[in-house]
Amino acid sequence: MRCASIRRRLSAWMDGGLSPAAARAVSAHLDTCEACARRLAELRGVSELLGELPRLEAPESIAQDVLTRLEVETRGPGLGMLLRRFGAARPFIMPSLVPAALVLVTVLSAALALDSGDRTRLPGSIASWGVIPARGTESNPVFPSAGVGLPRERDGGRLDEEVLLAGFGGGTLFVETVVARDGTVSTVTVLEGDAERAGPLLDALRQQRYEPARYRGRPVAISLYRLISHTDVSLPKI
Amino acid sequence: MSVGEIPLEAAGRATGRAADVVLVARCRRGEPEAFSRLVALHEGMVFNLAARLLGDGEEARDVAQNVFLHVYRKLGQFEGRSTLRTWIYRITVNQCHNRRRWWKRRHKDKEEPLDDLATGPNAVFLADRRPESSPYDQTRRSERARRVQRALLQLSFDHRAVVVLFEIEGQSCAAIADALGIATGTVKSRLARAREALRKRLSDVVGEDGQS
Repeated sequence: MRCASIRRRLSAWMDGGLSPAAARAVSAHLDTCEACARRLAELRGVSELLGELPRLEAPESIAQDVLTRLEVETRGPGLGMLLRRFGAARPFIMPSLVPAALVLVTVLSAALALDSGDRTRLPGSIASWGVIPARGTESNPVFPSAGVGLPRERDGGRLDEEVLLAGFGGGTLFVETVVARDGTVSTVTVLEGDAERAGPLLDALRQQRYEPARYRGRPVAISLYRLISHTDVSLPKI
Repeated sequence: MSVGEIPLEAAGRATGRAADVVLVARCRRGEPEAFSRLVALHEGMVFNLAARLLGDGEEARDVAQNVFLHVYRKLGQFEGRSTLRTWIYRITVNQCHNRRRWWKRRHKDKEEPLDDLATGPNAVFLADRRPESSPYDQTRRSERARRVQRALLQLSFDHRAVVVLFEIEGQSCAAIADALGIATGTVKSRLARAREALRKRLSDVVGEDGQS
C-alpha cells in the first residue's frame, strides 16, 4: 500500500476499527516507513493532548437552577394552574402568557397615555357628534312612515283657519312642528319663509295639542311638515 | 413487575441501563429527588461537553440548564433503546448546535465568531488544578490546554462534536453514531478528518513534555 492510503487508515487503525487483514497491512507498512510512523505518533500525540484536557466544571451547581425553574413551571402563575393538563405538554406556554399579557397591557397603556393630549377635532368627525339621543324622543323625533301611527289633533286643539290666516303674513312658509310624546308641540321651526311676519301663526302652532304618535304601541315624538302659501292655506292631510 | 412498580431502593443498587430505567421510572412518577439525582449524575458531563463545544462558560451553563429542562419534558419519550447518557448527549449536542445558530444570527454583523470567545472574558475555565503540579507546570499545562481548546473551536461543529465525544468523553463510535443520529462510518471519517486537522494545528504542541 502507498503512504497516502496508509495515512487515511491511521485513525481507524489507532482505534482498532480496521479488518484484521487491513490492520496487518498497515502494521507492516509502519514497520518499514518512518514518515508514516511519525505521522502516527503525531496523531497519538493529538489524542493524548485531548485526553489530558481538564474536565470543566460549572462554578455553581446547575441542578438547583434547573429545579427552581421546574418548580416555577409546574407551580405556574394562575392561568397555568387552571389549564394544567393542557399546559403540561408544553409547560412554558402558560407562564409565558402572563408576561405577554403584561407587555400588551403596558403597550396599550403607554399608547393611551401618549394619545390623551389635546388634538384638533375635525368638524363633522364622529367625536363631535356627541351622544345621539334615543330615536322617538323630542331631540330625535321620528319621521312619518308606514309603521308610525300619526298624531291626531285633540278637540280644541285644531288650528282655527281665521287665526291661521290672520297670523300668516303672506308669502310662502314651510314649517316643521315636533309633536312631543305627551301630545304637546315641543318645537316649531321655520324652514323656509319670513319667521317674523309669521309670529302669530307660529304661536298658534305651539298651542296645538295632539294625541301623540305611536310606534309599536308606545308614544314617540314626531316631526310634521306644513307648507303654507298666501293663496292656499291648508293643513296637510294627516 | 412493570417499570412503575420498581421499588425505589432498586435505583441505588442497579447499574447501567437498568439504573437508567429505574431512575426514569421514578422521574415519571413525579419524584423530585429522582430528577435531582438524574441532574446530579449528568450535570458535569453536560456542562463539560457544552463548554468544549461552545467555548464559553456562561453559554455552556445556560445550555446545560436547557438540556435538563428538555430532559424533564421529554422523559416520556425516552424508550431505553439507548442509554440515558447517550440520550442526554444527543440533547446536549442539539442544544449546542441550536445555540450556535442562534448566536450567529444575533451577531452576524460582528466579526468575532463565537469560537473566538475561548479567549474572551467568558472563556471556559481551563486551568490545571492538580495540586502536585508546580506553578510553572500548571501555567504551561493551562496554556497548552488553551491552545488545544482553540484548535478544537476551529473545527467545524460536526467534526468537533465527534472528536469531543470520542477523545474527551470516551464514547465509542457506535454510541456517538447513536447520539448524533448518523452512521458509524460517518463518525469514523469525521474523527479521522478532525484528528488530521488538529495534528496540523497543534504540530508545535505535540512533542512537548515528551508527547510522542
